[in-house]
Amino acid sequence: MHGLRLIFQHEIAKIFKDKSMIFGFFVLPILSLMITVGISMVRPTKEEAEAYTLYFYGIDLQEYDIGKLDDTEIIVTSISEDPETFMSSSSFHKYDVLTDFSDLHHVKIYYHEENTISSYLKSTADSMVREIYSELFRGRHPDVSFRTVKPVDLNEKTTDNRLIAMLLPYMLILPLTANISNFAADTIAGEKERGTFYQALLSPVSSLSLILGKIWSVSLISLFSSGIYIGLDVLGSKICTANGWDDVFGFAGIHVTTAEFLLILLYAVLLCYLFSNLGVLISLFCKNANQAQIAQLPVTLGCTMAAMLAMFRFGLSPIQHYLIPVYNICIVFQDVLNDRVDISKMTMVAVSLFVMSIVLMCVTLACYKSEKVTE
Amino acid sequence: MITIEHLKKTFKKNKVEAVKDVSLEVRDGEIFALLGPNGAGKTTTMRMLSTLLTPTSGKITYDGKDITEDMLSVRRRIAFLTNEIRLDGQFTPDELANYYGRLYEMTPEQIEKNKKELFDYFGITEFSKRRYETFSTGMKQKTSLAICLLHDPDTIIFDEPTNGLDILTQRLIEKYVVRLKEEGKCIILSTHILDLVSRLADRVGVIVDGKSVYCGDVSEMARSQNVDTLDEAFVKLYEENHVEQAIVTK
Repeated sequence: MHGLRLIFQHEIAKIFKDKSMIFGFFVLPILSLMITVGISMVRPTKEEAEAYTLYFYGIDLQEYDIGKLDDTEIIVTSISEDPETFMSSSSFHKYDVLTDFSDLHHVKIYYHEENTISSYLKSTADSMVREIYSELFRGRHPDVSFRTVKPVDLNEKTTDNRLIAMLLPYMLILPLTANISNFAADTIAGEKERGTFYQALLSPVSSLSLILGKIWSVSLISLFSSGIYIGLDVLGSKICTANGWDDVFGFAGIHVTTAEFLLILLYAVLLCYLFSNLGVLISLFCKNANQAQIAQLPVTLGCTMAAMLAMFRFGLSPIQHYLIPVYNICIVFQDVLNDRVDISKMTMVAVSLFVMSIVLMCVTLACYKSEKVTE
Repeated sequence: MITIEHLKKTFKKNKVEAVKDVSLEVRDGEIFALLGPNGAGKTTTMRMLSTLLTPTSGKITYDGKDITEDMLSVRRRIAFLTNEIRLDGQFTPDELANYYGRLYEMTPEQIEKNKKELFDYFGITEFSKRRYETFSTGMKQKTSLAICLLHDPDTIIFDEPTNGLDILTQRLIEKYVVRLKEEGKCIILSTHILDLVSRLADRVGVIVDGKSVYCGDVSEMARSQNVDTLDEAFVKLYEENHVEQAIVTK
C-alpha cells in the first residue's frame, strides 16, 4: 500500500506540473465558460422575441392574434406534439404558456411563475379555457364540479430537472471520456515513449500497486476535471440568470438534494473507474501516447453515442436497458434527477459497473505481467 | 555474488531467441564487463538480471537465491542504468530523489544524506531545483545515475553508461564506477569501448549470438586466445563462434 500511495501522489503531481494538462484542466473550461456566457449576452433574450405564444394541446385551434403586450404580439396556436417533449424543446420559451387539454375535465396550464409575461399569459389562458368550456358545454347544463383547471409552475423541481436530466449524461460523459483518454494515454504509453516507465518498473513496488496507482490517479483527475466543467456550467447559468440573459447552460432551475448529489457522485466515480481501467488497458498495448489516443477513439465515440441515445429517451426504460454498459449509467442519472429512483435497478447498475471494472483491472494486471509492456 | 546458469530468453511476440545459452559468474567487489557485438543479447541479459524480463529457462541467483522467487527484494538491492531510462521531465532532481527514495522505503534522513553526497559529486546541487527536462544530455545522464544509485544498491548494472557523453562527464562517471567498486559493490558494465574495459574491468564475459563464449579475467582474455590485445581476442572469439544467418530478402 505504501508504493500505491506514492505512485498515486506522483501521478497526480505529474499532471499538475504539466502545463498542457493545466491548460486543458483550468484554462480551457474557463475559456469555454467565457465564450458561452458571451454568446448568451449577445443572443436575443426571449423577452425580445417576436411574439408570445399560448400553446394548446388536445384541442384544434386556428392560429390567431389576441392582441399585444409591450408592443409584442400574443399568438394562440395548437400543437400536436406531446406537451412534455414540446416543453423540453427550444420552441417553448420561458414567457410562453402551454394548456394541456388531453383530459377535457382536468386541464393543466404550464407556465413560469417567476416570469411576469408567462404569469400574465397564464391568466389569459385560464380565461380562454373557461370560454372554451362554456362554448363546448353550452346548453347541456354541465356539472362543473368534476372539471378542474390546474396551473403548473414549470420552475418547480421536477420539470426543470427533466431538461438537466436529459443533458447531464451527455455533459458528464463527453468531458469524462475525453479526459480519461488523454490522461490514460499519457500514463503508460506516453511514459514508454519518453522512457520514464522503466524507472518505475525497476522500483520495489508490486505490479498491483503500480497499475492501481495509475488507474486511481486517472480516475480522480478525470472526475475532478469533469466536476470543473459542470461546476462552471452551473456558475454560467447563475451569471446568465442574474443578468437577465438567456440561460444557454440550462442549469438555472436545477434542484438537487444532498442524497441525489451523492448518488450522482457515486455513479460518476464508478463510471470514472470503469473508463480509467479501460483507458489504462488500451494504453498498455500502445507504444506512444498518440497511438493510445487513436486506439481509444472508438471507446470515446461509443460512450458519446450511448449518452446521446439516452438524451432522447423518455419515460421508463425496461430492465434490460440497465444492463447495457454506459447507457445504463446515463439512464440512472436521469432516474435520479427525475425522482424515479429504483433501488434494485440502481444496485444492479452499480454492481455491474464495479464488476466490469474489477475484471478489466485483472485483465490489465495479467497483460502487464505477461511482458507485453517490457518486451 | 551473481550466478547465471544456461540463461535463455525467447520473445513470445516475435518468436526471437535473443538469448540462447548464457552462463556467467559475477563476484562482489569487482567490475564485470559484458562484451558482444550489436544484437548479441547483452541488453536482454541485463534486463533479465535487473528483473525487467523473466527468463524463458535457466537461472539467475543473487547470493544463492533465485531472483524470480522474490523480485521485489532483488530490486531493492540493484540499480540499472541504460540510455533508454529517462526521468519525469516536469520534476526537479530534488523531487525525483525524494520520490524514488520513498519508493525504496528509505527514511527522510537517508534520502537527504545520500542525495547530498551524490548531487555534490555529480555537480547537480546547484541545479537541484530546476526541472529535469531543461537539462543537457550529460546533466540528464548524471541525474539519472544519481537517482538510480540513491538507495545505495549492492549491484549496479550499467548498459553503455557513457554513450553520447562528453569526455569530462565520461571521466566523472568512470571515476565513480571505480569508487563504487572500492566500496565493495558489484558492477556489471556493458560497453563497446574495449579501452574502457581494459582500464576499468576486473573480469569479462563475451556473448556472441546469444551464447556466452568467454568468462574470465580481462588480463587472461588475450592470452587465452593466443593474441596480444583485447581487441584481437574479442574479434577472434567472435569469428570462432559467430554463425552466419541466412538472410532472406524479397
